[in-house]
Amino acid sequence: MDTNADNMILPFAKNIFTQPPYKSNPPDLLGGFCSGCNDYFFPKPGYCPKCLGNIQTRPIGNKGTIYSFTVVRTPPLFDLPSPYAIGYIDLIKTKLRVFGLFDPEALDQLKIGARVVLSVKSLGTDSQGSPRLRPCFILEPENEHTMI
Amino acid sequence: MAVASVTGVGIIPFGKHSGKSIIDMGAKVGYLALKDAGIDPSKIQAGFFANGLAGRLFGDSTIGQNVFWELGINKIPVVNVENACTSGSSAFYLAYNMVAANQVEIAMVIGAEKMCVPEFGLINSGETELDTQLGLIAPASFAMRAIRYMDEYDCKPEQLAQVAVKNRQHARLNPNAQFKDPISIDMVMDSPMIVDPLTRFQCCPIADGAAAVILCSENIAKQMNRSVNIESAILCTGSYGNNQDMILWETDTRGCNLAYEKAGIGSQDIDVFECHDAFTISEILHYEALGLCDPGEGIRFLEEGHSRLGGKKPVNVSGGLLSRGHPVGATGVAQIGEIVTQLRNEAGPRQVEGAKIGLAHCMGGDKSGDTKSCTVAILSV
Ligand SMILES: [Zn+2]
Repeated sequence: MDTNADNMILPFAKNIFTQPPYKSNPPDLLGGFCSGCNDYFFPKPGYCPKCLGNIQTRPIGNKGTIYSFTVVRTPPLFDLPSPYAIGYIDLIKTKLRVFGLFDPEALDQLKIGARVVLSVKSLGTDSQGSPRLRPCFILEPENEHTMI
Repeated sequence: MAVASVTGVGIIPFGKHSGKSIIDMGAKVGYLALKDAGIDPSKIQAGFFANGLAGRLFGDSTIGQNVFWELGINKIPVVNVENACTSGSSAFYLAYNMVAANQVEIAMVIGAEKMCVPEFGLINSGETELDTQLGLIAPASFAMRAIRYMDEYDCKPEQLAQVAVKNRQHARLNPNAQFKDPISIDMVMDSPMIVDPLTRFQCCPIADGAAAVILCSENIAKQMNRSVNIESAILCTGSYGNNQDMILWETDTRGCNLAYEKAGIGSQDIDVFECHDAFTISEILHYEALGLCDPGEGIRFLEEGHSRLGGKKPVNVSGGLLSRGHPVGATGVAQIGEIVTQLRNEAGPRQVEGAKIGLAHCMGGDKSGDTKSCTVAILSV
């Protein structure tokens, strides 16, 4: 694994996911939380869209199930792998339905309802062509799935 | 009684217009609309110009003033409108409200787009948006809807493909459509896969094109032949909450219901529909949002032939975006122009017999799994 190399690579955007090195804390998506409304949002808005109150940055969950997905076969933006898969994931922890990338190496195993877990990989580039870290969801192994 | 009417329509065939600029195309349809209405350019009191992509593709902005000047229309208020695929229908919405508010008696809407250029890539919501940076392109939003829809209602890609086949049959009867050669389900399915399960023929083609309409007040309409009443024109946006249902499309349904409510009629009263069939799945979802059938019944509604020319609720007899082509800024205006042409009983071989009430529906952009804009206009004679 090129863990060291990945550590040098910058995230594609700020405050979308927790930063490496992960060690005992696996990567998590970052969203917004309004304590007044007791509600989570993703991505984090500048103000609470319900009460205009302050929003705190909070981890919103790194496990979920696939709500829908597709495989994109057109020439990719940001030098993403071709083809690549994207979809909506229902996060278990906060019940948010978030948009994201899937593991480009398991495109034909995607299905609605499948359990996924967040990973962070060097995936695609920025608009200048430099490699960037992006979050992507990976299918949980089937045996782990049946245990729950 | 309607407070505003459409009294002129201009359109050019959609497709490649090599050597023609956005201004050339916009001025041409403006000229045709003025001639159609029999109105002198000096009578136009407000101008709305719609374009979706020229800023991104060519760095052009505020094109409307150039277009209206070509037609001898100047000094009046001119507003440039960008609202993704609803740019044209949003411009119409603004013009309608201006006339309805008695601010002007005659307003003109022109939509024009140039897409058949080497600079063109796939449409997205802008490269700085989070979803785009995570790989979202416009067709993918609808592909995800299609996959969810097929899962929930147990249908197959071949069934979605029938939308493309039907709209191509209609396009054959429309001289302004971009693609007129018949296609089969096999041809649709065998065309290259773009975003699973949508093949190329299930995605609307890019095009150059332009369309214009002239709106007028009730007073002016009384003096004109062939004017068509605007019963309602609405624009709504999404709620962008995080848990968007990609099948039961709240924004779409809310927009359609608002237009029905304002017009004081329901889907059962409407004779002809133009809807935003940017992808095959879109038309199925819009049948359901428009109330043409219950949720989950869209495929059956299509397969029973209700939405074809000659059916009880013809949809996209122009060929729709899928076959007429989709020059973004022109589409919303062209849809309204098609409804006007139908209600005037001037649609030739694609005429819906006895059409008295028609509806034009458009959608544009993508945010949090929802549309950025939904417009609906209902017209009558
Ligand atoms: Zn709040």
